[in-house]
Amino acid sequence: MRLCRRIAVVGAGLAAVSLCDALRARGYDGELVLYSAEYGLPYDRPPLSKDVLLGKARREDVLLRPEQWYAERHVALRDGSVVRAVRPREGGLELADGTVVVADRVVLATGGTPRALPVPGGDDPAVHVLRTWEDSVRLRERLLPGTRVAVVGAGLIGAEAAAVAVARGCRVTLVDPVAVPLAGVVGDAVAGALHGRHTAEGIAVITTGVSRLEHRPGGSGVVLHLTGQGGPVAADLVVAGIGIRPATGLAEAAGLHVDNGVVVGTEQRTSHPNVFAVGDVARRDGHRVRHEHWEAAQRSGEAAAHGILGEPLPEPGASWFWSDRHGSRLEAVGTMADAERTVVRGTPDSGAFTVFGLRDGRLVAAAAIDRSRDIKAARRIVDRGVPVDAARLADESADLRALLKR
Amino acid sequence: MSTTSTGIRVAEVGGIEDGEALKVPAETTGHSDAIAVFHDGGAYYALDDTCSHGQASLSEGWIEDGEVECPMHSARFCLESGQPQCMPAIAPVRAHRVEVREGEIWLHIGPDDGAVG
Repeated sequence: MRLCRRIAVVGAGLAAVSLCDALRARGYDGELVLYSAEYGLPYDRPPLSKDVLLGKARREDVLLRPEQWYAERHVALRDGSVVRAVRPREGGLELADGTVVVADRVVLATGGTPRALPVPGGDDPAVHVLRTWEDSVRLRERLLPGTRVAVVGAGLIGAEAAAVAVARGCRVTLVDPVAVPLAGVVGDAVAGALHGRHTAEGIAVITTGVSRLEHRPGGSGVVLHLTGQGGPVAADLVVAGIGIRPATGLAEAAGLHVDNGVVVGTEQRTSHPNVFAVGDVARRDGHRVRHEHWEAAQRSGEAAAHGILGEPLPEPGASWFWSDRHGSRLEAVGTMADAERTVVRGTPDSGAFTVFGLRDGRLVAAAAIDRSRDIKAARRIVDRGVPVDAARLADESADLRALLKR
Repeated sequence: MSTTSTGIRVAEVGGIEDGEALKVPAETTGHSDAIAVFHDGGAYYALDDTCSHGQASLSEGWIEDGEVECPMHSARFCLESGQPQCMPAIAPVRAHRVEVREGEIWLHIGPDDGAVG
């Protein structure tokens, strides 16, 4: 392998910063430059749909790393720098101002952009999305008591935004064609309990699609026309939480293999050996979906660091994500779609319970509401391949830690 | 109470189960943070309770093999030194000395200038 002395990273989210941390931790002492199209120090995204939107967190509270981290680790942050092109053959980048950057390795950490509502009127100025710090602040300023908010999409971002809006005194309608969102990943019981909380907290939940948005003549706001029953819905503002499009433009222009994301191997290497892709923009070859979760982004940065340095990859272990809404925390390990049977621990009526997913006598997935310790145990049981007895998992008096001690 | 090594009795042996932790509030110790006293396989350790990465209580973390895993984002810290073992944490949490004396667990608050072993 050619000696790598210059690494250029396009993007500065969690995956990019994790990559830098891992490179420095593993002894890489060459040049390391982050090109961020946004201004300011890189920040963590999960709080954008939670504490930032609630007005409980300021920018300095959500920074991925403190300012001195960049100096201490010799990570050069070029904020407000738009990359115009990646040129793998010439070995480098071209910035929007025409500057040519020479690099031995380029890492694409460009993330994604929120999908616009694909209906007539979907580009109305009343429609908000939630991806960046500025998106969150702009929306926060509009979430005033009494404001009529329509949230389209009841997945993670939509559900969290709806919960914040109702907590701030808005009148919230949540529209999604899926009756029980997330059921495929966390199972029917947990997904149903979570989704049911919206109604209990005063959100009007409508299970249908949106056909068009009509601008209210002479005023702000829109009327949402629906494909099924329950409408139309008048709203002062709309939050579209229907997923992202991976920002693959640079990769496509560079001739890299792109198919629902920049396609990468286990080391996050793209179809060009000197170009890597991490975070939401990347899709692992052989995986149907891009894993757009916080920990997946962090791990992808670490994996790319290993790949760049030619070191063996650490065992990835089971996937994990969380979501906060209505004062409760959802956590999930693996995906319930992999399970052939499920077993419940705790009392669903209490609101806090865990569902374990089993296959062939092993644990493959778990989903819990407000039971973090069950999830921590589950993760270890999955990763260590410990054989499990369904009855013991269901028995509240049996300590899950004991399953790990053998 | 000052942050010298006079010691604070926090529990009786047996009062903190294996794999569990006791959160000692800052008001009790006069320390800048609450302190989590951990029991891991017969040994006791103490660290500043607040994760160095996010706002989370390490006393509610998963304790195993000489480490505690933060309940919030799964950063792990060495119970002995407070050093981070994996991302997302990059800074240590302060470690304090724990002594078991005549069936009681005593906490000795460390100096206020970084992690101590």
